[in-house]
Amino acid sequence: MDQSVINKLLENFLYVAPELWEGTLDTLVMVLVSTGLSLVLGFILATFMILTNPQGLNPRPRVYNVLDVVVNLLRSFPFIILLIAIIPFTRLVVGTTIGSAAAIVPLTVAAAPFAARILEGSFLEVDRGVVEAARSFGAGDLQIIFRVLLPEAMPAIILNAAVIGITLLGYSAMAGIVGGGGLGDLAIKYGYNRFQADVMIYSVIILVIMVQFMQSLGNYFYKKIR
Amino acid sequence: MIKITNLYKNFGPQTVLSDINMHVAPGEIFGIVGHSGAGKSTLLRCLNGLEGYDSGSVKIMDREVKDFSRDGLLELRSEMGMVFQTFNLMSRKNVFENVAFPLQIWKHPTAHIQERVMELLALVGLESKSHERIGNLSGGQKQRVGIARALALNPKILLCDEATSALDPKTTGSILDLLDDINQRLRLTIVLVTHQMEVVKRLCHRLLLLDGGVTQAMGQTEDLFLSPPENLKKLIDEDYMLIPGINIRLMFPRNVSQDSIVTRMARELGVDFSIVGGKLERYHDDILGFLIINVQPEHLERTIGYLKKQKLHWQLMEDGNNPYPHVAPEV
Ligand SMILES: Nc1ncnc2c1ncn2[C@@H]1O[C@H](COP(=O)(O)OP(=O)(O)O)[C@@H](O)[C@H]1O
Ligand SMILES: [Mg+2]
Repeated sequence: MDQSVINKLLENFLYVAPELWEGTLDTLVMVLVSTGLSLVLGFILATFMILTNPQGLNPRPRVYNVLDVVVNLLRSFPFIILLIAIIPFTRLVVGTTIGSAAAIVPLTVAAAPFAARILEGSFLEVDRGVVEAARSFGAGDLQIIFRVLLPEAMPAIILNAAVIGITLLGYSAMAGIVGGGGLGDLAIKYGYNRFQADVMIYSVIILVIMVQFMQSLGNYFYKKIR
Repeated sequence: MIKITNLYKNFGPQTVLSDINMHVAPGEIFGIVGHSGAGKSTLLRCLNGLEGYDSGSVKIMDREVKDFSRDGLLELRSEMGMVFQTFNLMSRKNVFENVAFPLQIWKHPTAHIQERVMELLALVGLESKSHERIGNLSGGQKQRVGIARALALNPKILLCDEATSALDPKTTGSILDLLDDINQRLRLTIVLVTHQMEVVKRLCHRLLLLDGGVTQAMGQTEDLFLSPPENLKKLIDEDYMLIPGINIRLMFPRNVSQDSIVTRMARELGVDFSIVGGKLERYHDDILGFLIINVQPEHLERTIGYLKKQKLHWQLMEDGNNPYPHVAPEV
């Protein structure tokens, strides 16, 4: 390759590096916070689901069916539509609709039902015999959730958390479209609007590295605690 | 200790327990015996309210299980330990933590838990394994952990659901010894569910034979094995491969000299017998022997005549090609 092209690329990179760095941090914060929040919200939902599930701790098929439909409904919303549809709600919660803080709201809302489903699935995977044993010495439903299901399902939950994080990483790039900040925002701003393809490529490379990193992190903790 | 009267239980249209009546005395080892699907586990689970029932009464220490409040039921369960066929231990906790778990659920002080768990592990012979992961234990060791956990809260009643069915015969023996030891040392009442005749004979003082949710027989183990009703006979005979001809089971209660009977009978009748099998078995604290002999049909009548004179317990065995099914055993 021509020396001057390389120099030009390097110059460009150094020019955008601070912004790339900032975008990377923004993306990380958005993804980590919304993954964490969606796991918490998802856990609350999953608690009600595992309690009322026909195969759960305290079957209430009617209540479960309602939860089931709501969760499915939320999950079937395409993210890009959800993003726009809940703008009023986002404004209510964080006071603004641009920037990474504002993106956390739709990201969390989108991932929470997904997380609930995944947590419910992980809880149902726990050996029924172990649950039965806990019941046999008098553990209550909530004790079973917190002290049997949660710890026994933890390896599966960690792997699934990595999946949620990676999905949200993809979504966070979409949030860039409506001014959500982060690498997605950067890629669109420079790459799409200003035809600076190299910035888009840098952003994508960083996103790929982040995906790999999150998956490895998930695998590492999975192996460590299994 | 436990009293069940006219108990009925349905799963949808299927009646799983039908008019069950039984009682278990304090310190007794009571067996619930029958084929798979007979309703044994369901009956056991009615005792600690893991399963509800449709009508009738289940009383544990004079309290009706159905009448307990939610919290009351949890309390009741803490007075009854349960041991499972598949051990049902928490794979992510070690031996100590598994045994400690019921104590933690009931918020016992840490110092007490430490002491109590080590005491329990000593009781089941696993002191040295307290920090072992469950995955590294053998089946027998896992069941010892299961038993220690079931005893953690000092229960008055121990419920065992096929506790030895997943174990090899030698390990089964050691677990049965342990249960026997616990029963005597702690004066613990034990209700055990099993389809293994070994277990019944070795441990149970009394038993209830269940088939299709219906009581087939109930009584002292020794009595039932010496003159078993049809259903129990089938269960007992399943252990043996019978050969063509007529198979007769001879039983020797205590104080009957067993060594010479068959040879003497052969000599006096001038008839040859094949010996199909036999052994000495421990029935709780007693040793009983039995011998299965095979007789040619033409010698059956004389043989039976001889046996009747000898006042022996005997029966014709179920083998599907018995040409004389109508010949009823007599004692
Ligand atoms: N939760 C359940 N729902 C429906 N049927 C059940 C349930 N549990 C057991 N059964 C049925 O009840 C019968 C007795 O089961 P069980 O008590 O487990 O028998 P056992 O322990 O003697 O093998 C079986 O036919 C079984 O299919
Ligand atoms: Mg069973």
